Formats: sequence, C-alpha cells, structure tokens
Amino acid sequence: MERRVKVKVEKLCKSFGDLKVIEDCSFQIYDGEFVCVVGPTGCGKTTFLNMLSSLLKPTKGAVLIDGEEAGPKKHNLSFIFQEPSAFPWLTVEENMAYGLRAKHKDKAYIKEQTEHMMELMGLGKYRRSYPKELSTSTEQKIVIGRAFAMNPDLLLMDEPYGQMDIKTRFYLEDEVIRIWKECQKTVVFITHNIEEAVYLAERVLILTNKPAKVKEEIIIPLPHPRNVEDPEFVRIRNYITDQIRWW
Amino acid sequence: MKQRLQITRYQILLNILPILSIVLFAGLWILVSSGEGHIIPSPGEVYDRAVRLFEKPINHVSLGGHIWASMKRVLNGLVFACLTGIPLGLLMGWSKTANSLLKPLFDLIRPIPALAWIPLMTLWFGIGESSKIALIYLGTLMPVLVNTYAGVKMIPQLNIDVARVFGASQLQIVKDIVMPSALSAIMAGIKTAVGTGWIVVLAAEMISADTGLGFMIIRGSNVADLALVIFAMLIIGLVGAFLSVLLTFAERKLCSWKIEIK
Repeated sequence: MERRVKVKVEKLCKSFGDLKVIEDCSFQIYDGEFVCVVGPTGCGKTTFLNMLSSLLKPTKGAVLIDGEEAGPKKHNLSFIFQEPSAFPWLTVEENMAYGLRAKHKDKAYIKEQTEHMMELMGLGKYRRSYPKELSTSTEQKIVIGRAFAMNPDLLLMDEPYGQMDIKTRFYLEDEVIRIWKECQKTVVFITHNIEEAVYLAERVLILTNKPAKVKEEIIIPLPHPRNVEDPEFVRIRNYITDQIRWW
Repeated sequence: MKQRLQITRYQILLNILPILSIVLFAGLWILVSSGEGHIIPSPGEVYDRAVRLFEKPINHVSLGGHIWASMKRVLNGLVFACLTGIPLGLLMGWSKTANSLLKPLFDLIRPIPALAWIPLMTLWFGIGESSKIALIYLGTLMPVLVNTYAGVKMIPQLNIDVARVFGASQLQIVKDIVMPSALSAIMAGIKTAVGTGWIVVLAAEMISADTGLGFMIIRGSNVADLALVIFAMLIIGLVGAFLSVLLTFAERKLCSWKIEIK
C-alpha cells in the first residue's frame, strides 16, 4: 500500500552563532506513521523537534506539512515535553480541552473530543482534579490526552518518559501505542532509549553526532505489541546500538 | 499510639501558646500602667474610654464611621493602584521593550516613600479626600506593580511553549497562561499594598482630616487623651489583622489549585 507523505523535511539546517547543530537534514514522514528519532546524547534531537514544532526557526531549509510550511497557526500541532507540562491551574478536563480552545474550536466539538480522550485515557474520574493532586504518570497521561484531543496533524514527543521509573514507562509506552492505533495520527517520538525506540516505532531515524543529520533509517516490521525478547527485536536493537556508539 | 498521644499534646500546646502570649502581654501592660508616673493608661481605663466613645462619638462620627472612613480611602487608592499597576506589571514583565522603557523610571520613583509626596499632593489636590487617595495610590502602586512584574518573570517557559505550539496568540497567552500563573504573586503584592496603604492613610489623616483612625489618634494626642490613642491603636491592629485574613481567604479561593492536598 502506498502511503501518503505527511511531513517533508528539506535540507534543514540550524546554527546558533558558529555552532552548527543540524546540517542538511532531509527525510519524509508518512501519514499515520510512528517514527522514533534516536541519536547520541546532545546531538541536537530537541533542537530538531523544536523546529518541527516551529518553536525555533530553521537557519536554512524547510519543514512542510501537507506541502505547506509548518506553523502552529495553520496546522494542528501537539508537543509532549520532557517535563510534565499540564497547566497546574486547570483541572484535568480543562487541561484536555486547552489546545482545542486555543484554536477556537466549536464548543460541542471540544466537549466531544475531551470526553472521548478522557474515556480513552481512563481519566474520567479525575476530571475535576488538579494535576498537583495526581501522580506524575497520571499527569503525563493528561498531557498525552491533551495532545491527541487536538486531532493533531503531527504529534511530537520529546523524551516524554525520560524521567519516569521503568514500570510507569512500560505502561505509558503501551498506552501511547494503543491511542496511536485508535487515532491514526502521525507521531515523531524522540528518545535516547534504543529499546524504547524499537518497541514503539514503525521506523527509526538514527541521527549522527553534531552537526546532526540522518545517518540511517531502519524500518521495524514487527507487529505491536512487541516482545522485547523476540530474537528479531534483539537483533534490531543491537544493530541500532552499534550505529550510535556514543560511549 | 504513644507517638500519636505526643502529637496531640504538642498540638494542644500549639493552640494554647497564642492565648498565653496575649495574656502575658496584658499582664505586662497592667504591670507597667500601675507603676509610678502613669506612663500608659491601664487596660481598664482604655475599656472605659471605649465605652464613653460609643456614648459620645468623636466629631459626631461613630467608631464604625471612622474605621470606614480610613478603609474607604485605602480601598479607593488600592483600586486605582491595581487598575494601573497590574496591567503595567504584566506589560513590563511580558514585553522587553516596555520594560527597558519604563523600568528606569520606576526604579527611580520606587525608593521615594509615599509620605515624601505629601507637600506636592497637598499643593495639587488640596487637603481633602483626593490628596489622601492620591498618596495611598502612590504608596500602593509599587508593591502591586513590582509583584505582578516578578510573577510574570517567574512563569516557566514550558507553560508558554505549550501554548505556543497549540497556536495561541500573544493575547491568548497573556490571558490563559500569564494571568493565572502570576495571580498568586499579584495577590501577594496586593497584601503588601494593603499594609502600605494603611500606613499612608494614617499618616495622611494625622496631618489633616476630620474622620478616620489616624484622626482619632491625633485628636487623643492633642487633648492628652492617651486612652483614646491606645484604643485607636488597638482598632488599627484588629482591622489590619482582619484585612490580612480576608486577603488570605481570597487568595485561597482564587488560587485553589496551588493548595497542597494533604
């Protein structure tokens, strides 16, 4: 089946002064695809994602979504940050609705989307709670729910589980796969955890050291949910590890 | 079990101590006032003076009237200070241009105590209500403005980035992110401002007024009625404590999300 190109990154460059962080990065992401980006620590993964989300302007090159230059006003973008980023002054329900409200969506539609996501994430019973009253993993679930509720053209995740304990991470990895399957959204997920990348992604992009460019693309043909002990899984994981070698 | 008992005892002690301190203070007062030279009226004399105050109000204005007169001045000045100080603080915190334009001006004005403005205010607004309100405005503007500014500066970039990625406009970010994040700092500013406003109103009333708690003190002082002075001082303390409780309550209502759930 031929997949439609959703995001096209063309000759992307970013420098801060003399420091070249990203150089001549080109690749495509297909509609509904789950892509993981891995690379050595400090290679510019976050800078890379900040450009996809247009928080940063590229020095050269372009990011196109559906053939148009990416921008938060034009496109529905969602970003899940490293740190839990639910708004502490809003309840779970209000947090879930925030992105849609910022985009001035129809009230009935906001309600419907919020309800749907709260049900999907099992957060209905916390709808009137504030993030502070909940655990970190629940807060991250609010953020994931808020991101998917947007019905995003592109969902960007920047090491969202980096600071979580292993049990929470496994749980949220399965959750994000479940919701991704349900919503059929395009996801770019950054991680330094290779096992996580192989567990989640349909395709993995390996970045080089600074200045970063795409070193290699690896398609992972295994069906979800994946078994981390599957010999093929282990082979791919070891292969990617060899390609990075940051130690 | 033993531990729990100890905690309860400790808590009882914590509840008794405030009463104890007031009792000790009253005791000290009685002791000093009964000494030679009559340095200070005794609690009994102050109580009698208070009762007489209800029978024969000062300047034909009841005690409540005097309290309200002072309070009204503070509130008027404070409302103006909030109406200008909060928007200015938001603007200076949000826009670097506005900040570099306005900050030197405020840095210069801020260290000048409100009371130093008395001559100018009297010259411009006379000795009536407006000069007092203008003085209170000057005294309360800075705490409101500075706290709002600091509140905006302390907002985590993360919260703003989230809104930006969702495509929120500058105005939306100020309304949805900056205002709620800075609210508790603004409330802290208003609390400080009420304290300052209270100081300024008393000083202004002691200079020229025919109502208000500051006026009561000056009247007592002029006719050597120290019991009246002390009674007015006690009322000032009570009203100040009441305002502080009221503002803390308002802050909890407005920033309920900040309160830790135990």
